[in-house]
Amino acid sequence: MKRIGQFILGVKEYLILTVLLIFSLAFLFSNDNTQIRFLRAVAVGMFGTVQSGLSSIPNVFDLQQENKLLRETNIRLSNEVSNLKEAKLENIRLTRLLNFKEFSGMGLVSANIVNKSIIQTRNTITLNTGESDSVFVNMPVITDAGLVGRVVSTSRNFSIAQILFNKDMRITVKSQRSRIDGILTYDGVSTLSVINIQKSADIIPGDVFITSEYSNLYPSGIPIGTVVETGNLDNLFMKIIVVPLVDFASLENVFVVKYIQNKERYALEKTFQAGKK
Amino acid sequence: MNFKYGILKNILLLVLLLLIQKTFIKILSLSSLNISPDFVMIMLVYIGVKEGKISGSIYGFLAGLLADFLSGTFIGLSAISYTIAAFLAGFFKSENEKFLTGYFFLISVFACSFAGNFIYFWIYFQGAPINLPEVMIKYVLTSSAYTTLISLVYVVFPRKKKIERSFLGET
Repeated sequence: MKRIGQFILGVKEYLILTVLLIFSLAFLFSNDNTQIRFLRAVAVGMFGTVQSGLSSIPNVFDLQQENKLLRETNIRLSNEVSNLKEAKLENIRLTRLLNFKEFSGMGLVSANIVNKSIIQTRNTITLNTGESDSVFVNMPVITDAGLVGRVVSTSRNFSIAQILFNKDMRITVKSQRSRIDGILTYDGVSTLSVINIQKSADIIPGDVFITSEYSNLYPSGIPIGTVVETGNLDNLFMKIIVVPLVDFASLENVFVVKYIQNKERYALEKTFQAGKK
Repeated sequence: MNFKYGILKNILLLVLLLLIQKTFIKILSLSSLNISPDFVMIMLVYIGVKEGKISGSIYGFLAGLLADFLSGTFIGLSAISYTIAAFLAGFFKSENEKFLTGYFFLISVFACSFAGNFIYFWIYFQGAPINLPEVMIKYVLTSSAYTTLISLVYVVFPRKKKIERSFLGET
């Protein structure tokens, strides 16, 4: 008996280790036990309380990491917001154009402006549509707001159009209200004006000028601009300043009207003009 | 009284280290594998070397069990690894406490944490598509080395105290 006691005392460390390991293994094999879950919940609850108190201590490393992450997220979200705004505006623009296309009744080719000059004497826009889309020289360019200009040069996939703010542009126009005809010109600096209208003509600010049926290049009735100022040019003619209905500064999408001038009419008028000279 | 005070001190220190381990360890974690030092292991090795196998294994079991309750993994896993590691630390116990000083302490920390980590990760990765050599290299060796590196703090600290004492004319 004494020997057994001595033996146990001699190996007590290993006995304790064995007991502890048996306990550990017992725990390991009873992880889903309800009591074990309860003990775990209690321990986590107690430690969680202390840890939540400690969490108020600012952790510089975590803050740095968090800041970096937030900055990255901020940039990403800013980009997304910007893209969404852009998409929304594009959606509004395209919806308006689509409605216009459906109601205009003309053969139209939609185009995006890929280059634009609006501050020179002879301003033009470059469109991403060309002969492959049946776009040819002299075809009018319009938007839902009104006349933009006309195509002056084409390639297979691109075309260049003169806009109203071009010194070479002269368009026969008509007052929508009083039906008085005139010619729209650009002074090469900033002003669009309608010339060749007599002083006594019935033109007042607010009147809208549209393309005239006298024009061989444009279909009649396309709105162009609104009269903002009238006055006397000289003893015979009126000075009429017009603001275009199209906002050229923000112009992005246009339509090319598949309208070709009447060749017979053009040839006759040209021959007649030559004969007069 | 001293005995009770010693037990209380050990328990409080272990709970405190466990709290630090669970709360702030992210700061010291390395790589995507989350290799982190084990403060509790260092303390258990200290207890094992200072007080022997029985104390070491009991403290190891209790600390491991508490760590298991606080972790989301298997209950009993840390208990086994800490118990065995702290029990092994008891083998380094000597009259002159040689293994509590200098590089000897580092050796004992590395040896015990290696054994503890081996048991822990070996059981932990059972059934996972990772082989034993990979577990050894990626987890066991790195964690043990990192824990040993952190235990340098303990080695440096008493030396500093010794230097301070020598400045004060003490021996």
